[in-house]
Amino acid sequence: MPFYHQVEAEGSMLLKRISVNLFLIFFIFLLTADACAARLPKIFPFKEKNALSEWQEKIFRGRVLYSVKAGKGTRYLRAYSENSASGIFYEIKFDPRQYPMISWQWTVLRFPAAQHELAGNAAGEHWIEKDDYAARLYVIFPRLSFNLTKCLEYVWDKDLPEGTIITSPYSGNIKLFVVESGTDNVGKWVFAERNILEDYKKAFGKEPGRVGAIAIMTDTDNTQSTAEANYKELKVGYKDEK
Amino acid sequence: MRKIKFINTPVQNKTLLLVFAAAVIPMAIVALCLYYLIFNMLAWQMGIPEMVAYNLIPVARKVNIILLVSLPIALLAIWLTALELSHRIAGPIYRLEKELDIMIAGKRQGPIKLRSRDELKALADKINKLMEKSK
Repeated sequence: MPFYHQVEAEGSMLLKRISVNLFLIFFIFLLTADACAARLPKIFPFKEKNALSEWQEKIFRGRVLYSVKAGKGTRYLRAYSENSASGIFYEIKFDPRQYPMISWQWTVLRFPAAQHELAGNAAGEHWIEKDDYAARLYVIFPRLSFNLTKCLEYVWDKDLPEGTIITSPYSGNIKLFVVESGTDNVGKWVFAERNILEDYKKAFGKEPGRVGAIAIMTDTDNTQSTAEANYKELKVGYKDEK
Repeated sequence: MRKIKFINTPVQNKTLLLVFAAAVIPMAIVALCLYYLIFNMLAWQMGIPEMVAYNLIPVARKVNIILLVSLPIALLAIWLTALELSHRIAGPIYRLEKELDIMIAGKRQGPIKLRSRDELKALADKINKLMEKSK
């Protein structure tokens, strides 16, 4: 066999082997991803003292105090933020097209000092300095590349009307839904239920991929103030029974 | 030393492409895997999307700019290296074929001459010995 034919044959053989190996790696990755799917619905009652042990703490700027507290015959998650921003993060993989619902109960005891204005206003460039919320819940949709990861945030805001959808000043991939508004229910437990499939379509105009994580955060780093909120009975990934 | 590095023969074209692909494909795979792994793992470790947008995306943008600038330089360097390597292999084959054609046509007798650093010098020497024997 002429030399160059041999070189060519060996080269194409090598390329074939690389392709087969890459395909195998991708196949194993797909299998593993499916095996990691969560048992649904996942309920976080925050009733055990060690209920936070399954959550990861993610510190942005300073540490928010998250703790399980007891009061009036119930246990709940308390978040207390003083000039700080950190969240608790839970990895949970499921398809929101099959299990689109999420619900929780929350109460705000103290709002951050200043509230933001709507995205797109002339004051938009300063909006990032007011991006603090007494209570917020994240649903995170990871993508193959981190910069394409999308996120829905459900917030309780003092000023913005309920139903408002705004884009985060940090990224266009983060959409905030005002689920509860005003001070009327301060100190009272409020039930919230959302269809993340519909919310995602409303926010991004297309169907979502798989959910990869949820998170909770109470933050006051931008407004340099204090906020306090409680959360309980978080239920993730169930079908809409209505 | 041969001045013309690209003699445009099928052997050189194939060797050139093969050497270039053999260098670029694994490099691209490793670089992409590293890029993907490092940034995605960091993003997942940060968790909170605002944290990722505020801290990681600006870094990724800087890295992308550096890659955009350095990638053409790296590819050019690989291409030049591939050209040099392909020429070291294709040049002597071309020369050997040419010498043999001249001898078959009866235009010249005597040994095939290759440069001492040529890859196929040993093969040429053996052909010369064989021709000596068969005289």
